[in-house]
Amino acid sequence: MLHLLKIDLKKMTSYRTFWVICGLYFLTLGFTTASGMEILKWLASKGAEFGASININRVPLYHFPDIWQNLIWISGLFKIVLAVMVVISITNEYQYRTLRQNIIDGLSRWEFLESKILTNVLLSLMSVAMILSIALVTGFIYTPKIEWDYFLVGSEFFLAYFIEIFAFLSYALMLGILVQRSGLTIVLLMLSHMIEAIIKLNIFRSSFEDQIGWLKQFFPLESITNLVPLPFARYAFQEIQDYVALGAVAIALAWTVLFNYFAYLKLRKSDI
Amino acid sequence: METVLSTQKLTKNFGKLCAVNNLDLEVKRGQVFGMLGPNGSGKTTTLGMLMGVVNPTSGSFSWFGEAATHLTRKKIGAVLEHPIFYPYLSGQKNLELNAMIKGADPNNISRVLETVELTARKDDKYRTYSLGMKQRLAIASALVSDPIILILDEPTNGLDPMGIAEIREIIKKIAADGKTIILASHLLDEVQKVCTHFAVLKRGSLMHIGPVDDVGKGEEVVEVQAYHDDLGVLLQEFLGSGSIKKENGIFQVMMKDGYHSKDLNRFLFDKGIVASHLITRKKSLEKQFLEILSDTSHKV
Repeated sequence: MLHLLKIDLKKMTSYRTFWVICGLYFLTLGFTTASGMEILKWLASKGAEFGASININRVPLYHFPDIWQNLIWISGLFKIVLAVMVVISITNEYQYRTLRQNIIDGLSRWEFLESKILTNVLLSLMSVAMILSIALVTGFIYTPKIEWDYFLVGSEFFLAYFIEIFAFLSYALMLGILVQRSGLTIVLLMLSHMIEAIIKLNIFRSSFEDQIGWLKQFFPLESITNLVPLPFARYAFQEIQDYVALGAVAIALAWTVLFNYFAYLKLRKSDI
Repeated sequence: METVLSTQKLTKNFGKLCAVNNLDLEVKRGQVFGMLGPNGSGKTTTLGMLMGVVNPTSGSFSWFGEAATHLTRKKIGAVLEHPIFYPYLSGQKNLELNAMIKGADPNNISRVLETVELTARKDDKYRTYSLGMKQRLAIASALVSDPIILILDEPTNGLDPMGIAEIREIIKKIAADGKTIILASHLLDEVQKVCTHFAVLKRGSLMHIGPVDDVGKGEEVVEVQAYHDDLGVLLQEFLGSGSIKKENGIFQVMMKDGYHSKDLNRFLFDKGIVASHLITRKKSLEKQFLEILSDTSHKV
C-alpha cells in the first residue's frame, strides 16, 4: 500500500504545478484561519471610526472549544483548490496516456486507482494536521481562560473535516475519471453545487416539500456540506448544531465509497 | 520449446468494426516474432489486449502457460504505438517510476541508459527529447526490469535512417541475449532483417504464420545480363525457363522446379555466351507479403 502511495507521490513531487497549487492551498488556508482575530480587530477599529462599537470579546471565535468548529468550517471552503489539484493529477494521466503505460508496466487497474485514493487520504490528513496545529496555537493565544473540562468539546469535528475533504476529493477523482478532460472536469467541479441546487429546487419546489424535504440530506454534495454545520449564527443568539450528526457521517461515507466504486467501475470497463 | 504466448480465438470488436478476429497465435521462447500488417490491421489492438489495456470481446490468451494478471505484465517489457512518459519528469526519473511499478532493481537504470546511449541526457526533461531519443528511452524502459519477453510496436516509426539503424542494432543485441521479442511493424525489410518468425494480419484476421527462413522457398528468380542481341530469344530455349521479364536491360528468369542458376549458366556457356551479370534472387518478404494480402480467399 505504501508502495502505491510512493508511486503516485513520485509522479507529483517533480511536477511544478503540484507544488504551486498545494503551496497556494496550504498558505491561504493557514493565513486565513490564523488571522481571523486580526481581521476582527481591524473590523472593530474601522467600526469605531464610524461610531459603531463591536465588542470583540463577545465574539469568541478563537476561544476553546468554539474554535474547533469555527476554523474547520472556514477551512472547508478551501477544499475546492485541493480538488482541482486532484483533477489535474488524474486527467494528466489520460492526456499523457501514462495511465495506459502504467497498466502495461504491470499495475492493475485497481492498484492505479488505489494509488490516487491514497494520495487523497494523505492530502486530507495533511489538511487536518494543519488546521489542528493552527487551532491549538491560536486557541492558546486568544482564549482568556482555558476551561479544561470543555477543552475537547467539538473536537470530533476533525473526524468530520477529514471525511469532508476526503469525500470531496473522491468526488473530484471520480469526475476526472468519468470526464477525462481537465478543463471540462474543473468547470463541472465548480458548478457541482449549483447543479445540485437546481435539481433540488426542481424536485422540492412543489407543495409536498414537507413530506419529502428530508430527502435533501441524501444528495451527494449536500451530504458533504452537512458534516460541519455553519457555526457563526450562534454569535447572533441563534441555535446551531454544534455536534457532528452520525446520520450525516453515514451518508457522506456511503457517498465516498460510491464515488470511488464508480471510478473503479469506469476504469475496469474501459479500453485505455 | 517452451511456449511463451498463446492466444485462442482472441477477438475484439469496436462497435460494428471487428478489429481482431478469432486470432490464434503461438510464440515460443527465443523467437523474434514479427507481426506484419498494413495500418489498421489490428496489430496494436492485439498487443493492447495482451498487455491488459484493451478488454477482449471474446477469446483468451495466456502468458507462460497461465492466465494473465498484472503480475505477468511485470515480467514483460512493452512499448505500444509510441513512447509514453511523463513529459515534466527527466528520463532518469521516468525510468525510476517504471522500475518502481515493475518492482525492478533501480540499479538496472544506469545499465539500460547505457544500452540505448542516453546516459548523457538522462537528467533532461523528457519533453526536450528528440523523437529518436524518446523511442530509445522507451526501449530502455522496456528493458529496465530485465524482462523475459519484449514487445515493440513500430519501434522505428518516424525515425531517420540512422535512428532506424541504431534501433535495429539494439534489437539484434537484445535478441542475441536470448530474449523473446515480439515486433509489430509494417516495415517488411525490418522484419526480414531481425525476425525469425512472422505472422501477417489483415483486417484483424491471421493470414499467414511461419518462419522467416521459409520465405522464398521453392521459387528462384535468376537475373541475367549478357552482351548478346538475341538473349531474350535464347533464354526461351532454355528448358528451365518459366516466365521471362525484362527490367532495366536485365532479364529476370523464373526458374522451373529442379533448375538452378548454374544450369542456366552452363546453357549460356554452351551457346558461347558469357554472362556479365548472373544473380539468384530469393523472393523477398515484401513480395510474399503482398501476395498474402492480395489472396483474399486464403486464411490460416
